[in-house]
Amino acid sequence: MPHDNDMNDLALIQNFLKDRVASASVDKIVPDATLTELGIDSLMLVELIFEFEDKTGITVPSDIPLPNTVGELLQQLKDIRSQQATK
Amino acid sequence: MKKRRVAITGLGLINPYGEGDVEDFFARIMRGESAVRYHTLSNSPRPLALPLVACSHFNPIAVLGPPLANAMDRFSHFAVASALSAWQDSGLAKHSNRDDYGVSWGTGSGGSLTIERGYQTLYFENKEKVSPLSIVLAMNNSAASHIAMQLGLGGPCITSTVACASSSVAIGEAFRRIREGAVNLMLVGGSEAPLSYGVIRAWQAMRVLSEGDATTAYRACRPFSENRAGLTLAEGAAALVIEDWEHACARGARIYAEIAGYGTTCDRTHIARPDSGGQARAIASALADGGLHPHEIDYVNAHGTSTVEGDAIEIQSIKTIFGEHAGKLAVSATKSMHGHSLGAASAIEALITTLALYHQAIPPTANVTEIGADCAGVDHVLSKGRSNVPVRAALSNSFAFGGSNAVLAFRSVTSS
Repeated sequence: MPHDNDMNDLALIQNFLKDRVASASVDKIVPDATLTELGIDSLMLVELIFEFEDKTGITVPSDIPLPNTVGELLQQLKDIRSQQATK
Repeated sequence: MKKRRVAITGLGLINPYGEGDVEDFFARIMRGESAVRYHTLSNSPRPLALPLVACSHFNPIAVLGPPLANAMDRFSHFAVASALSAWQDSGLAKHSNRDDYGVSWGTGSGGSLTIERGYQTLYFENKEKVSPLSIVLAMNNSAASHIAMQLGLGGPCITSTVACASSSVAIGEAFRRIREGAVNLMLVGGSEAPLSYGVIRAWQAMRVLSEGDATTAYRACRPFSENRAGLTLAEGAAALVIEDWEHACARGARIYAEIAGYGTTCDRTHIARPDSGGQARAIASALADGGLHPHEIDYVNAHGTSTVEGDAIEIQSIKTIFGEHAGKLAVSATKSMHGHSLGAASAIEALITTLALYHQAIPPTANVTEIGADCAGVDHVLSKGRSNVPVRAALSNSFAFGGSNAVLAFRSVTSS
């Protein structure tokens, strides 16, 4: 069962995209969706990460690998949460 | 090789008076109606209120939609919205995908609002990062690129930054490319969004801004008036579709007017003080380029910013070139109503001059109580415009800081 934080992160991505990508209806922003098909370019991904940092207070390292899908991005954010929680 | 003629076939702008179209804008200009209001700047560290022209009604989210609007600075919002409007007016297909069509855009300071927002974030909010879009929002050529993307224009994508002559240089350089056959059509114009605390304070420091209050703001800008006291800052944009004459005729386009000539010079004397010699050479150059004799010019849309020194020097320049004809030459400065939108101003004035030729009507200079002795010697059109008068050809003057001068010559369709 998904953790609350995972759901919050997905909601954050959905909210972020609906103001930036014309074709981004919420039902398309699912873990299997690729960032390319959602129209997320590298600049937009950085904006999204900054938004995540501002909302959560968690710092995302600048050298994380580029995710291909929403699911991969969610997993990265989850890993960063757990790493910082254990510090 | 025979030079091609260049037709103006589409007009669009961000109307400072409200939601009306270009005809509504021109009608208000003809009535001498000022768009200047006493505005209090929002989001400034200390209260700042002064006479300005702000396009407060313009809602980029409503006009462009959230994805596009969120990817642009305000000067690009103005650019794309005015360009879409001019494109629609021209009757061209919505997305052209043409590599023989291009963009030539003017802006003085591009995304200065984005830059100022970045400084606020770093210096006052103590954050260590700014938006990753900061560079692509603020760069001066972002407006032209967004226009090219929206309209599918694959030819030249040029940005001119020549202070207050930015748009006339953008229009003039595009005109030459079409005339020489390098391209068939260009979307031209300019936009500026300078109403930030830092930019306004910088203009105030130069002591060139006219003062006023809630009751007097509308007449803050009064070019050529004996009591003129400085310019009035504005934001805004205007766009024109210009194209090869035969290309326009072949598609059955409405032709508003012809761009006949373009002259550009540098005073090469001072970074801010204008010089009549350089201005006169620009006027002469535009006339020669268009094959026009001074007595064929029925109207000059002056640069006329309402500064004490600048207005007098411009009239001197006009008299130098027009000689005895100057006394009969109708001259007006429409900045008295739409303010000085810096890099966008000459696009707005090119639009007004085009409509003056199209409607055979001459707009006025508003707010003048008495013409200054140092500005006399031309036929000043004051308070209300003149309708149903012959306007065979007209000039639009732009004389910028840096001593950069640009003059566009236009001819009416009926006289060409």
